[in-house]
Amino acid sequence: MSVTAAIAIGIAMGIVFGFALEKSRVFEPGVIVGQMQMRNFIMLKVFLTAVATGAVVLAALNGFGIVKLAPKAAMYYADVVGGLILGAGIALAGACPGTTLAQIGAGYRDALFTLIGGLFGAMTYSYAEPTLSKTFLGQSSGKLIFSQLMGIPYWAGALGLAAVVALVLVGLETWRPWRDDLGKDVDGDLASASPAPSHIRTVPAE
Amino acid sequence: MLSQKAWSPYAAGIVIGLLQIPAFLLIETALGASSSYVTVGGLLASWLDPSVVKIDYVAKHIAATGKNWWQVALVVGVAIGAFVSMRISGASRAAISPIWRNALGSASPAKRYAVAFVGGFLMLLGARIADGCTSGHGLSGMAQLSVGSTVAVAAMFVGGIATAMLLLRRV
Repeated sequence: MSVTAAIAIGIAMGIVFGFALEKSRVFEPGVIVGQMQMRNFIMLKVFLTAVATGAVVLAALNGFGIVKLAPKAAMYYADVVGGLILGAGIALAGACPGTTLAQIGAGYRDALFTLIGGLFGAMTYSYAEPTLSKTFLGQSSGKLIFSQLMGIPYWAGALGLAAVVALVLVGLETWRPWRDDLGKDVDGDLASASPAPSHIRTVPAE
Repeated sequence: MLSQKAWSPYAAGIVIGLLQIPAFLLIETALGASSSYVTVGGLLASWLDPSVVKIDYVAKHIAATGKNWWQVALVVGVAIGAFVSMRISGASRAAISPIWRNALGSASPAKRYAVAFVGGFLMLLGARIADGCTSGHGLSGMAQLSVGSTVAVAAMFVGGIATAMLLLRRV
């Protein structure tokens, strides 16, 4: 496929992606920080639903031999060290690498600083990569998927995962309905939905 | 429906999960976002430091391949899609989310911009070390039952929860 065609497909898919991120409110700093403080569960719900949907879709596409899977290699040291740093960054940015762009589209100005910081972070890694890849961070255990370890076909494992996730989501929603996490201005800001603090209450004129 | 301010997380999650179909069928790859920062960052850096393209990792990411530039286009599309969705629903956002006043204990935009820069830096440094982010390891890796991706996602939540609990105030 030509690069131009790939770019056109990317833009079209991105618009759908950005639309869904915006509608779900999962791109909101209030939702992401709220999830990391375990007070807001919209992020987990969107994330798990997308994982389960992807698993069903890939179970069909791979099960019928239409597509090959493309899992990343298991690199335990890099996965743990990188994952911890990535998580710290997500909490401080109130965004993920993808939702940063949704924040920019929605008009959050601080997301431009997240983006610039991200470009510097990516380049810092790039300059260090030739060195880092020779350390423990470069150790790979190869492409490993759970269904393989369990000795079952991928499609069966993927459908099993989707079923378990669906049950978890039913439990999560029963415990905490998603509308409760939206906030008054659908930005996950639940604090400002409570009554205003007394010191800014207006004093009646004499 | 397109003019609603909020969809259920389940409806939105299904739409996002279905995007794996065109990703696998047309581009032969899974959804991801963080590689695009290397593609764009590498290209920008090469103007200041032409020798950066001698690093194989950078050369691989800035090469004119469909996969590289598809992902850059994807994240640009994300900004467009969010902008359009916002406009259709008639919502508008302040320059900085009101939650940061509580989370940082300060209303200073300069402080927020500095924290956002550091957050972005750590986010991509970590994502490149782990070889993937919330999309690549999270959405795509877990859907493919990848062992490494599951470890990365668990670490990501541990790092995120620890940071949000210890360094940020209650939002």
